[in-house]
Amino acid sequence: MKITPAITEAVARLKDLSVVAHREVEQVLPAILPHGEAVTLQWLAACTALFSFERDAGKAFIRGSLEAEKVSETVLPWTEQALAFMQWRASWRALEGFMANVARAYGSLGHAGEARWAKLGFVWCARQIESGAAYFSTPVLDLAGRHGGITAIEQLATPADELYESRKLMLATYLPGAIRVRNLLGAQAILPWASRGADIMQSGRARGEAYFRLESEESLSLLLEHLPGYRLTDRNRLLGMLLDVWFGGEFELKESAWSPEKGRPFIETDGKSIYFPAVMADREEAILALLHTAGHMYYRTFSRAAMQEMFAEAKIEFPQKGAVSWAPLFMRFGDDALRFQLIFDLCEDLRIDFRVQDNVPNYLKRMCNAAHGLGVRHPESQGYYELALESVEAALAHRAGAPADPRFAPLFAEDATVATAYRVAGTLYEKSKLTPVTDLEAFYAAYLPGRSPNATRMAHPQESDDEQDQSQPGAEQNSQQQDEGGEETEAPQNAESGEEQGDGDQKEMPSYGDSSGQSARASSQGDKEGANHGSSDKGIPYPEWDYRESRYKRNWSWVQEKRLAESNMGETVRLMKQYAVALKRLKKAIQSQKPTRTAPLTQQLDGDDMDLNAVVSYVAEKRAGQSPRPNIYKRREIRQREVAVTLLADMSTSIMQHLPEGGGRLVDRVRAGVLLFAESMEEVGDAYSIAGFCSKYRDNVSYYMLKDFDETLSEDIRAQIGGMSGRLATRMGAAIRHATASFEGVESRRRLLLLLSDGRPEDYDDGGDRRYLHEDTRMAVKEAVAKGVHPFCITVDTMANQYLPQIFGPGHYLVLDHINSLPNKLPEIYLRLRR
Amino acid sequence: MKTATSRVRGVEHDIVQMPQAGDKAPYYEPQGNEVAIFEAAYKRRLPVMLKGPTGCGKTRFLEYMAFQLKRPLVTVSCHEDLTSSDLVGRFLLEGSETVWHDGPLTRAVKAGAVCYLDEIVEARTDSTVVIHSLTDHRRKLTIEKKGQEIDAHEDFMLVISYNPGYQTVLKDLKPSTKQRFVAINFDFPPEDVERKILLQEVPGTKADIAEKLVAIGRKARLLKDHGLEESTSTRALVYAASMMGAGLDPVAACQVAMVNPITDDIELHDALMEIVQAHFA
Repeated sequence: MKITPAITEAVARLKDLSVVAHREVEQVLPAILPHGEAVTLQWLAACTALFSFERDAGKAFIRGSLEAEKVSETVLPWTEQALAFMQWRASWRALEGFMANVARAYGSLGHAGEARWAKLGFVWCARQIESGAAYFSTPVLDLAGRHGGITAIEQLATPADELYESRKLMLATYLPGAIRVRNLLGAQAILPWASRGADIMQSGRARGEAYFRLESEESLSLLLEHLPGYRLTDRNRLLGMLLDVWFGGEFELKESAWSPEKGRPFIETDGKSIYFPAVMADREEAILALLHTAGHMYYRTFSRAAMQEMFAEAKIEFPQKGAVSWAPLFMRFGDDALRFQLIFDLCEDLRIDFRVQDNVPNYLKRMCNAAHGLGVRHPESQGYYELALESVEAALAHRAGAPADPRFAPLFAEDATVATAYRVAGTLYEKSKLTPVTDLEAFYAAYLPGRSPNATRMAHPQESDDEQDQSQPGAEQNSQQQDEGGEETEAPQNAESGEEQGDGDQKEMPSYGDSSGQSARASSQGDKEGANHGSSDKGIPYPEWDYRESRYKRNWSWVQEKRLAESNMGETVRLMKQYAVALKRLKKAIQSQKPTRTAPLTQQLDGDDMDLNAVVSYVAEKRAGQSPRPNIYKRREIRQREVAVTLLADMSTSIMQHLPEGGGRLVDRVRAGVLLFAESMEEVGDAYSIAGFCSKYRDNVSYYMLKDFDETLSEDIRAQIGGMSGRLATRMGAAIRHATASFEGVESRRRLLLLLSDGRPEDYDDGGDRRYLHEDTRMAVKEAVAKGVHPFCITVDTMANQYLPQIFGPGHYLVLDHINSLPNKLPEIYLRLRR
Repeated sequence: MKTATSRVRGVEHDIVQMPQAGDKAPYYEPQGNEVAIFEAAYKRRLPVMLKGPTGCGKTRFLEYMAFQLKRPLVTVSCHEDLTSSDLVGRFLLEGSETVWHDGPLTRAVKAGAVCYLDEIVEARTDSTVVIHSLTDHRRKLTIEKKGQEIDAHEDFMLVISYNPGYQTVLKDLKPSTKQRFVAINFDFPPEDVERKILLQEVPGTKADIAEKLVAIGRKARLLKDHGLEESTSTRALVYAASMMGAGLDPVAACQVAMVNPITDDIELHDALMEIVQAHFA
C-alpha cells in the first residue's frame, strides 16, 4: 500500500500541530497503512483529534497503536474506543491505561472479550474518571486472574456496580484490594468483603481506604476468617497440648505476621518461640509442621555450639552476642544461594525428622503419606521435593532396619547436629544436578508438608551447659529441657511490670463508663470501713511466715480493706450483652440442679407430710420396745445455706496484659468471669462475697471488697466489677488471711475460698526470693483449712503446675489453659466444687 | 472372670461370702510394696485407706488381698444420702413383729470380714463418724438404736478408699477420721506392669497392642492439667483392649474406651485422638 496524497496531507496537518506527534506517527504508520487508505485516514484523524483534545492522550494513543494493531490485526474497533474517551474530561490517564492494555486484552480475551472489557471500563469512566483510569491501567491479566477470562472481570465488576448503586463506592478504591481478595478467596468473597469496606468507608475515609488496601487489621482478619484451610489461631490450645504431650516442654507459641499474600504458610521457629500462621492448608500439614518445628527446638537446630561449629567451617565469624543470621552461610554461593539453602534445609530437616520419630510414633510414616498426598508441585523445584521425599523414605527404611542411604547416613547418627547437616549439604550440593531455583513460589513449594525454611528468622542460639547430654536420647533430656524452658519464661512478671508502673496505678484505669457518684460512695464506704473493723489507717495486721527462720513475724503484713473507687457500668452492660447466651445457659444448668437443694427435708419433728421411711422405722422401733424420737415428718423448704464462698481475684498489674491469642486483655476476661460468677450465684442462692487484692510492700496490702456476704448484688456492685483493673503486685498470703477472717460470722457448714490468679505470689519487697512468699502463702492456706475454709486456686498461668501444688496441695487448684474460657468456667467450677 | 464374690451368676447370695476352695484368685499385679503393707496392717488389724485416682486398681487390690487373707469382703459404695443406719442396721417390720436387720458394716464386724467403704468422702461426715470407734484400739461398733456395742471379730478389718481429686475439695475427710488410717497411695502402674495387666486381663491381646495402649495412656495422662477431670485409667486401657479383642478397629476402640468417656471438650478430644492415631497409624 502506498502513501496516498490524502494521507500525506493528513500527516502534514499533524506535523503542524506537533513535531513530536508527527515523529511518533511516522513510526507507527507503516503498520497501519496495509489496512487501506480509509482506515489509515480515520486513524490519523483520531490521532489529530486526541492530540488536540489532550496532548498526553494523543501521545498515548499513537504509542499504543503499534502493539494494538499487531495483536488485533484491526485498527478501527480500538480507534473508535479510544475516541470515546474524548467525552470525559481529564481522561488522558484512562486512555493511557487503555492503550497500554488493549493489546493484551485482544490477546487474552479475544475480540468479543476486548469489547466487553472496554465497555465495562466506559461505564466507570462515566461515573468517575479516576475509577475508569484505575480500571484501564490495571493489567488485563490481573483483572482476569490466573484462569479467568472476561467472566472473571465481570465477576469483579458486578459487586462494584452494586456497591456504587447502593453506597457510592468508587472502583478506584475498591479494585486493587478486590483483585487480591478474589485471587485469595474466590469471586464469591468479594461482595461481603467490599460491603463491609463500604460501611467502614462511610464512617471514616482514611480507615476505609486502609481497609481496601488490605492494610487495616479488620480487613486482614476478615480475610483470614474466610480463608479456606485449617485455622490455627482457633486451635492454639490444641497445639499447646500436643507440644506438651509429645515434647513435654513449655514452648512459647506465637502467631506469626503471615498474611495470605506472603505465599505458602509455614510454622517457623527462631530457637526461642514457635510461630504459627493463622491458616494452613489442612490439619495434617499443620500438625506435622508443629511437630517438626518443635523438633527443631527439641533437637536443637539453633544450639550455640553447633552453630559455632558450622560457622567456623564456613569460615564466617560467629557473632558473640544476640541473634544470629544464617544469611552469610548462603551468601557464599552467590546466585546459587537458594539452591544451597534448599539442600541444607533438606538435610537439617531430615536430621530433625529422624529424631522426632523418637518422640512421636509413626511420625516419619505420616510425613511420607502427607508428602505423597500433595498433588501440585512446582515444576521448577520438583526435583528438590522429590529428593526430600526420597530422603524421608530412606529414614523410614533405616528405622525399619535397612542400611542407611550413604548420602544421608551421617544425619541419622545420634550425635549429629546442625553442623553435620551443613557438611552433608555441602557434599550433596557438589554432587547434585538439581536445577537452580529463582522463583520464590517455587522455592516455597520445594518443602515437604510440615517443613519450612529454617533461616527465615534471626536464630536465637540455644544455650546449654552440657551439649553432650542434649544429644543423647532419654528421660533426662526431657526433664532438662523442661527446666530450661521454665527458666526462660519464668520472669517475675507481676512485680516487675508493677515496678514500671510505680505509684501511677490509677493511670491505667479505663474510664469510658459512667463514673458519677464515685467519690460520694468512696467517702461513705470509708466511714463504714472504720466502723466495721475498728482499725487504724494502717489497716489490719496479719502475721507472715518466714521460712528462713521457721517462725511467724507478728503483725507483719497490713491489709487495708477498701471499696473499689472505679466503676464502669458501660463495660458491665457490654459484658452482660456479650455473655448473655452463656449466662442463660448457666442459669438453666443451675435451675436443673436446684431440686437437690430444695429437696424435701426428711425426718423433721414437724412438717406438712409424713416421711414414710421415718414412720416405718418409728413404728418398728416403737414395737421393738424403744422410744424413738417422733421425727416422722417431711417439709419442703429451702435448706439452710450450706456453702459460703468468697471469690478473691488477683488484681495485680499482670492482669492488664494483652492476651496472647488477641481479643483484648486478661482483665476483660476477669471482669466477665466475676460478673458471670455473681449472676450465677444469685441463681444458686449460696452466700457469697467478691473481693480483689493487690499489694505494694508488706504494709500496703489492698483488699477491695466488691460485694460482702450480706450485700445484695446491686447495680453499683455490677458497675464496680466492670471497673476492675490491675495494679501493683500479689501478696497472696495476706489476702488469704484477710479473706479467711471475713468468713467469721458467716453461717455455713462449708466455706470455700476461690482464688482467681494469673501468677505466683510476689511483691516488691520479697527481695527476689520467690520462696518467701510461696512459703507464706502455703502457710496461709494451711491456716485457712484449720479455720474450716477451703482455699481453691484457679489460675490462668500455664506455668502454675510448678508452684501451685506446693502451695495449695494437689487437687486444690486448676490451671485454665484457655483464658477465653475463664468467664464460662468460673461459675462452672464453683458448681462442681460445691457438689 | 471368676472371682470369689461372683461364683454363681444371676443368683442372689449373701454379701458376706467366704472365699471357697476352688475359687480363682482375682488377678492383681503388685506395683510396689502395697501387698506387704496391707499384710502388715492386717496382722495388726489396723484400718487402711487406699488413695488414688479412679481406675488404678484400688478395688481390685482389695479383692485380691481379701482372697489372699481368706477373708470375706463386704463392699459399701458410699453416696450422699448414706445414713448411719444404712451402715449399721435398722428395725424392720416383718408381719406383726419388728426385727432388727444388721447393716453391712455390722455384718462384717460380726463375721470378721474386710469391710470396704468405697469413696467414703461421698458420704456425709455425720454418717461416717460411726466408724471412729472401730478404727482405734477399741475396735467396737456401737448400735445406738439397740443400745448395744459389738466388739469386732478378731479378723475384722476396715478399709476405705478415697480419690483426692479436686471435685472433693469441700468433701474432704475430717482430719480426725483421716489420721486413724494407714494410708496406701496408689497411682497408675508403671509401664511394664500396666502392659502385663493388659495381657492378663484381656487374654489374646497382642504384645504390640498392649505396648501401644500403655504408651497412649502415658501420653494421655500428660494432659491432666489441661482440663481433664480424670485421666485415662488403667481400666480404660483394659476396656480398649477388650473392645479390640471383640473385633473393633484399634482407633475406634481407643476412642470409645479412652477418649469419649473422659471429655466433652473438642480440643481435648482432638489432642487425645492425635495421640491414639499416632500410635495406630
